[in-house]
Amino acid sequence: MKQWIILLSLVIFSPVSSHGEDFLGAPLIPQGTATIKTDDRLEMKTPLSHDEVVSFYREALKDAQDIKFRDWKDATYIEDDGRMPWHSITVSKGGEKGTEIIIVKDNWTWIIGTLILRYIGVFMVLMVLLIGMSLSGKIISRSVAKMDAKKGAG
Amino acid sequence: MTANEILDLLYGTLRTTGVYNFQWNLVVMWGVGCLFIYLAIAKKYEPLLLLPIGFGIFIVNFPLVPLMGYSHGHAQLLQVFYHYGLEWEVIPCIIFLGLGAMTDFGPLIANPKTLLIGAGAQLGVFITFTGTVLVGFTLKEAASVSIIGGADGPTTIYLTQHLAPQLLGANALAAYSYMAMVPLIQPPIMRLLTNEKERKIRMRQLRPVSRQEKILFPLVTAGIIALLVPSVIPLMGMFMLGNLMKESGVVARLTDSAQGSLMNIVTIFLGISVGATMHADKFLSWKPLFIFSLGLVDFAVCTVGGIATVKIMNLFLKEKINPLIGSAGVSAVPMAARVSQVQGLKYDRTNHLLMHAVGPNLAGVIGSAAAAGMFIAMFD
Repeated sequence: MKQWIILLSLVIFSPVSSHGEDFLGAPLIPQGTATIKTDDRLEMKTPLSHDEVVSFYREALKDAQDIKFRDWKDATYIEDDGRMPWHSITVSKGGEKGTEIIIVKDNWTWIIGTLILRYIGVFMVLMVLLIGMSLSGKIISRSVAKMDAKKGAG
Repeated sequence: MTANEILDLLYGTLRTTGVYNFQWNLVVMWGVGCLFIYLAIAKKYEPLLLLPIGFGIFIVNFPLVPLMGYSHGHAQLLQVFYHYGLEWEVIPCIIFLGLGAMTDFGPLIANPKTLLIGAGAQLGVFITFTGTVLVGFTLKEAASVSIIGGADGPTTIYLTQHLAPQLLGANALAAYSYMAMVPLIQPPIMRLLTNEKERKIRMRQLRPVSRQEKILFPLVTAGIIALLVPSVIPLMGMFMLGNLMKESGVVARLTDSAQGSLMNIVTIFLGISVGATMHADKFLSWKPLFIFSLGLVDFAVCTVGGIATVKIMNLFLKEKINPLIGSAGVSAVPMAARVSQVQGLKYDRTNHLLMHAVGPNLAGVIGSAAAAGMFIAMFD
């Protein structure tokens, strides 16, 4: 009996395999083991497959708003666009020895970086339009000039 | 009938009136609605929109009015307009159809490098996004608030409905109010950022644009937008369709309807439905008030962005562009272009900048749509 109580206490209070229920509000998979943990980032490994982990998070986050699941080539990327303190959960694919999970805190680097990229993107779109208009303008001007010349000659 | 029965009957009748269910916060909204009606009628600030918006705010803020809810499973009057017009994002697209049918892209086609001014003028959109997030808005809310600086009502409504419909009323009201105030907001910034020599820069007269170019432009633009920013093709596609109809010259009846009666009809529905979303319970919080103050900053920074873009372009161009037309990259068409004209004439009475400013003004419409598309792609 004593042995069972000691074993149970070890399981409950063990710092290695058990976690608080979340990291920055992001749910933690119970069978995960933390490999790197800082205030801004948590990397975990779990023996579960990628699909099992993604199913866990779909269930755990089903009531949360502004959560996006993106299917990338090497991972499933779960992004929060709402008010959660965490920004993203990356679940790796194809690992033979289990699945890696990386949870990252909301950070200004991502926000500023994406804004700069998108502002440049607006320029790119209008630049392409500028090139398109310049080219089509030149082609049409030449053909109109040729037609006018033919009419003049005729 | 006994006295008690009569009293019960009277009391029951009283309980169905607005007087019995009166709340003091509704009075504030009456004031807000009436303020916008006053601005529309007395000051002629965007009357086509501010009048129905103002009335929508006023009428929906009475107790028990069956306008924005559901009765016996059916949507009430303004809820129908809101649901089919705004929730389904139909009205902004039809407005763009009408706008396209009214627009002459000749000045932009003649000087396509002014497209970059339209892009530069979106600076405020992205800077305001950062400020909005700092204050506590979610990312989607921040995107919908920051697009106000693009000075494009339908684009603001389209993006807000897509990302943060709870802010629709405040965002639309801020956008249209500040658009009307462009002649007040922009001139001090234009004077601050330019010197006397720059303000007197004369630009070469724009080349004539052939009919074929004007017909090809909407096709080229729609194709490029569809390939690069497909999420805004409902808006830009309709814009280009309207313009194609106008430039083709063969569907005059359709063009007349698009720019006339159709535009007027949807403007009525747009205005009153936007106004109807602003019930006291949703509007009287810190967010709409913050949106109003941030909208002003947004417009100002967008103006700065447009002028700064011209100044940077002038470092590389032989034929300089007058930086006063940079502010016209803020797509309050045609008000911002007129502001450039007025400011230019102040320093040189023979320097007419209007047609030169129309190019960046229209480029700003495309730029703000591209910015909206970037935000939609961020969250999709």
